[in-house]
Amino acid sequence: MKRILQHPPESLTGKRYWRSLGELSDTPEFREWLEREFPTGAAELKGDEWSRRSFLKLMGASMALAGFGLNGCRRPEAHLVPFTKNVEWTIPGKFLYYATAMPRRTGAIPLIATTVDGRPIKLEGNPLHPASGGATDTFVQASILDLYDPSRSQRFVHKGKTSDRAAFNAYIGKLRNAFLTQRGDGLAFLVAETHSPTRERLRTELEKIFPGLRWVVYEPLLSEAQSFATELSFGGNVRLVPKLERADVILALDSDFLDCGQGSLTSVRAFSSRRRVSAAKDSMNRLYVVENRFTITGAMADHRLRCPASQIPAFAYALAGKILAATKDANLGAVIATLKAPAAAATPDDQWLSEAANDLVAKPGASLVLAGPDQPVVVQLIVYGINSALKNLGQTLVLREFPRRPSQNSILTLARDINEGRVKQLFILGGDPVYNAQRGLVEDRATGQPLDWSDLQKKVPEIVRLGYHEDSTSALSQWHVPAAHYLEAWGDTLTADGEYLSIQPMILPLFGGLSEIELLNALLGRPKTEGPELVQETFRATNPPGDFQAAWSRFLHDGFASHVQVQDQSPLFNASAAGPLAKNSWAPPPAPAAESPEIVLVGSYAMDDGRYANNGWLQELPDPITKLTWDNASLISPGFAKKLGVQTGDLVQIAITQKSARLGPIKRELVIAALVSPGHADNSITIPLGYARKMPEFSALPYAGGALKEEPKIAEQGGFNGYLLRTAANPHFIVAGGQGIESVSVRKLGRTYPLSITQEHFSIEGRGLVREATLERYRADNDFAKKMPGEEDLPHRLPSIYVHPPLDAPQQWGMSVDLNVCTGCSACVIACQAENNIPIVGKLQVAHGRAMHWIRIDRYYASRKPFNQDRGDWPEDPEIVHEPMMCQHCENAPCETVCPVNATVHSEDGLNVMAYNRCIGTRYCANNCPFKVRRFNYFDYNQRPVGKKKIAGALSIYEEYFAPLTTKGAPDIRRDGEMHLLRATD
Amino acid sequence: MDAAPTAPEMIEETERPLARVPLVLNKRNFSWLTGRISGVVENPAPRWWWVAFTITASVATFGLFCLGYQISTGVGTWGLNHPVGWAWDITNFVFWIGIGHAGTLISAILFLLRQKWRTSINRSAEAMTLFAVICAAIFPGVHVGRVWMAWYLAPVPNNWAIWPNFRSPLVWDVFAVSTYFTVSVLFWYTGLIPDLATLRDRATTKIRKFLFGLFACGWRGSNRNWRHYELAYLLLAGLSTPLVLSVHSVVSFDFATSILPTWHTTIFPPYFVAGAIFGGFAMVLTLLIPARAMFKLQDVITPQHIDKMAKIILLTGSFVAYAYTMEFFLAWYSGNSYERFAFWNRVFGPYWWYWWVGMLFCNCLSPQLFWFRWCRRNVYVVYFVCMCVNAGMWFERFIIIVGGLHRDFLPSAWGLFIPTWVDIWTYIGTLGIFTSLFLLFIRFLPMIAMSEVKTAVPEADPHYAAPTGIQSVSPVGKERTR
Repeated sequence: MKRILQHPPESLTGKRYWRSLGELSDTPEFREWLEREFPTGAAELKGDEWSRRSFLKLMGASMALAGFGLNGCRRPEAHLVPFTKNVEWTIPGKFLYYATAMPRRTGAIPLIATTVDGRPIKLEGNPLHPASGGATDTFVQASILDLYDPSRSQRFVHKGKTSDRAAFNAYIGKLRNAFLTQRGDGLAFLVAETHSPTRERLRTELEKIFPGLRWVVYEPLLSEAQSFATELSFGGNVRLVPKLERADVILALDSDFLDCGQGSLTSVRAFSSRRRVSAAKDSMNRLYVVENRFTITGAMADHRLRCPASQIPAFAYALAGKILAATKDANLGAVIATLKAPAAAATPDDQWLSEAANDLVAKPGASLVLAGPDQPVVVQLIVYGINSALKNLGQTLVLREFPRRPSQNSILTLARDINEGRVKQLFILGGDPVYNAQRGLVEDRATGQPLDWSDLQKKVPEIVRLGYHEDSTSALSQWHVPAAHYLEAWGDTLTADGEYLSIQPMILPLFGGLSEIELLNALLGRPKTEGPELVQETFRATNPPGDFQAAWSRFLHDGFASHVQVQDQSPLFNASAAGPLAKNSWAPPPAPAAESPEIVLVGSYAMDDGRYANNGWLQELPDPITKLTWDNASLISPGFAKKLGVQTGDLVQIAITQKSARLGPIKRELVIAALVSPGHADNSITIPLGYARKMPEFSALPYAGGALKEEPKIAEQGGFNGYLLRTAANPHFIVAGGQGIESVSVRKLGRTYPLSITQEHFSIEGRGLVREATLERYRADNDFAKKMPGEEDLPHRLPSIYVHPPLDAPQQWGMSVDLNVCTGCSACVIACQAENNIPIVGKLQVAHGRAMHWIRIDRYYASRKPFNQDRGDWPEDPEIVHEPMMCQHCENAPCETVCPVNATVHSEDGLNVMAYNRCIGTRYCANNCPFKVRRFNYFDYNQRPVGKKKIAGALSIYEEYFAPLTTKGAPDIRRDGEMHLLRATD
Repeated sequence: MDAAPTAPEMIEETERPLARVPLVLNKRNFSWLTGRISGVVENPAPRWWWVAFTITASVATFGLFCLGYQISTGVGTWGLNHPVGWAWDITNFVFWIGIGHAGTLISAILFLLRQKWRTSINRSAEAMTLFAVICAAIFPGVHVGRVWMAWYLAPVPNNWAIWPNFRSPLVWDVFAVSTYFTVSVLFWYTGLIPDLATLRDRATTKIRKFLFGLFACGWRGSNRNWRHYELAYLLLAGLSTPLVLSVHSVVSFDFATSILPTWHTTIFPPYFVAGAIFGGFAMVLTLLIPARAMFKLQDVITPQHIDKMAKIILLTGSFVAYAYTMEFFLAWYSGNSYERFAFWNRVFGPYWWYWWVGMLFCNCLSPQLFWFRWCRRNVYVVYFVCMCVNAGMWFERFIIIVGGLHRDFLPSAWGLFIPTWVDIWTYIGTLGIFTSLFLLFIRFLPMIAMSEVKTAVPEADPHYAAPTGIQSVSPVGKERTR
């Protein structure tokens, strides 16, 4: 029945309001006038003067006016279709917020997702949970873009041909029956780390049915050294959690604990809580960092020592010696007593070491030494010993039970099993092992050749791959199953500290993807689940108090289960177990030299391990340290670059010779662009991983048996694949004389590669743009910033004969950034991009200097010795200062006065606003902005067909400007100086 | 007095040191002037004209293609970036506007100052002004991101009640340039009327007769005609004179009212005006030196004219050099380190050679040759200096604009500007448009103001008695220019 909406009847009492006198009098004539659409006579066209002719004349004009022949003046038509049934809670124009979490290999981040009309559009941290406290990182912010990635996997693929879910279900059913009879023998799983308790539960159930199954967790950037050392020294299934807020002095050995991608948001916040100084009584922690390359943590260091990554063991040994001398701790003694001192050449800066050691010893129980997770087991053990000696265990370093059953298998044992033909059916859930597994996992039984994962995959009869992209691993699998995004599926996960979080879908899978737990459920032979049943079952096992439904709702609503509490425990260091292990694994590599430098492989701040390769926001995110976009490069120190005769952008060839018992030396090579990075250790080369990940098209590649070449063809890749150098024995650093490495060499190739760097000038040129002082000086004079050299440069300090208008508007806006705690992590850059839908522009446009980021993080190198960048000087042992720069909303804004069309004006509430529709693009505002934060769309970046490759073959310029992105997420390439494109010749 | 029966090609001047050198050499009379100058328009175009026009028109067409490409594809086809939001576009704009200054200065200011020598050059200088302003007007129009919305710059009453921002110098530019162009067109056209009537009277075809007749506005050369004409001309000259000074001052406000180091300076208005006259005279000579040779007008555009213009170039060039020096002094004297750095960067920064070659050599040093009479009298030297000044003035604007933008307050935002082919060809295209229009002008309109030049010859004296035996009217169409 149709209901006609009526205004509520007018009340008979009280005041009356009327719109006109006619309404007040309410005569019948007035009522009729209201009813009529046209005034009397107009509709009837009575009278002699209305001939057919004059009617047509009149209508002709109306038709012309209505837009006949004026189509050019019309805007494109769009239809608004309302919901046929109103969705619960949905109010048009209002956002809905849901709690969820993003699973990560180091522990999930609790989130709040903003949805509009059933579509998630923005992610923020869950302020209720301490693992986020409302904060997120770059990867969280960018992950929303992956959900809408047009090139994500959208179909089931069987042997290179599009298949469907029904066929896959039938296949799984058959498979299940076959393996039931064999009790799971030959069945193997290679999974990524998600910390999902539900997945663990299903795995346990699967192991009940298939006792023979092999379960392997592989994360290229998750070190096994640390968990192994922890397990051994403190007993199994535990994790050491640093309590940075309690530490007065912190020493980080190759540990980038402030990188949210590697560490956790909790540690960043805990660290920064000791850096917020707003009054004289406030104190600060002190951070010592020893590392080979500038990391986010190194940039925050008070004292930083450049040290090759391979020399960290020697440094840790020397430090342990100093601390042992001061503390006479028996545990530490037990760890290092049996170790042979490394060669004298490798001993680091003694003064620096002594000062750091003294500082640590002076704060027993309030100091902390952290070792990077990639450092070998022995370094971890020495560091535990040091922390034990410094009485930090239980104070700044606590222990948490981690409810996860560690896997007995690693990718190495799986590789051995595959090589020996013991694996008949492999499930690869997530990851991209063909791309990122260590090279040379096992030697072929017949030929003795080292086998990569891609070779091993060909030895498995049947592989099912659950993947987010149809990547090179999928290309070598019989089945490819599209994976659901974490915003599309039910799930659960744990934070880095082991707290239990819920994951709820914001939207149905856009392309029918499956989640891991759905796939495992199918393999268990259970019916397909439509809702949260699988997770609910796991949640039930945690024994939530009270009514289950209420507890479940609470769990979803809050995003975490507060009844699942993980308690901090005081760790007990088992020195007697650590000592012999340390002795066995002690093999300090020789110091790298210019002729044989060390190669250090690290995760990228933008690509992580390569999983975000197709994420344009992250590809275009300037690296927090190097400001490089769209590529990785081998980072080298200025001194080493001079020795090699290399400049930024030169291609170098890195060659590694590996010992092999049966075949003689094995050579691995990588051609990569060099990037000169001040503050890098000499004779050391850092290669960020995660670039040049291929997303081959299935039509172009054989699903199995075909060769998947990984020769670096520069033209078709974004960045360089560092995994090509990575072996299981040397996952972090490669140095001649190290684990099975005969020699390492670097050679300049004489060719260049264009790198798009957003900030070329790193010298602050002596300007007072960043002002620093020691805590003592601040306590003595909290107004020091106004008395720094450079202040007199500011124009407003000069006497002016012009009377400036008073800046006393009732509302004025300012945004302050505490440079004391800003790590330069760049999460705000991506968050701003996500919030404001800022387009990416592609590598070529970044090279042109047209990146659109509204926030940029300025990075300056500071050095005690002045240097002139224009003359080619490099700072020696520089420090880094980060200075986020964005619109300052000037009260007396220079951009506003010069805009000729009043497109940028001051709003009534004191903001500097911009009316895009009024802007004609004179760029005068940008020119007159002293902070140079105005951005201009040099092209219609948002309307460019991203992913379209060839538009007009003849007009390559057209292509240059209209399609700077390919489906790979790899950019176009600018040849040195010239704006030419090198394009893959398909 | 020579009393040869026919007009000789060359007449030996008797050496009279104290006498004024005549503005028209060889005692050319009215009829010679009319015949020679009209002949350029009336005779068939010489072959070199066709060759030149083909080249310039092709270049102009390609330039227009570049503009179309730029408008349809985006401003990004130019090499602009953050921080350099203006580069060749506004450089070209200021360059052309500057060139457009000489014409009106010659016509208006020199007219008011009763400088008779202006009569030989004012017409083509004015035409050059118009064409330069046309080229200049292209750039502020197309440099914006949304050209189709550029009318927002104009104060058009509209239902949103949004007006242009009258505080913005770009709006002042719109008013200044459009006013200048309008007045210049009127001034030029008014001056053309008597000559158009001459051409009408000499026209042999109906079309020419009709068109020249139409534009001559019924000129009959009557006393009343002349009285109205001269009054109008005087008024327009008076109106144009302040515009000569105002236009480039307003253009300089684009920079002077901003806050950037090297832009924000009060010296800019006079500095820009001097530079504009400097560059404008150089361009007048650049065009007239070949034209006078090609059309054998050496008797009308004499070494004396070139000499005088060279002196003005020397004068304004020295103004400019003084302004450059003063900028450095003020930067130092201000004590502002950003300002000091910007000027240091101008000389030793990434664009150092623009300053050394463009500003120092071309603009400051090369005009100093004009202290020497020999240099002023040698057309090759004059031409060389003029080409230096043309290039130097372009470089100067580039240094001011890009030099100010590419390295300002925050070193993190520093960048460089590298032009693309579209940048380069758009500029070359405007050179093509300019030269094409000028070539068309000398083909279809008298390039020398006949009626005015005649006032500078002895025949203009009411008491002048024509030497006997000289043919008073040269036969139409017989005399060819080559």
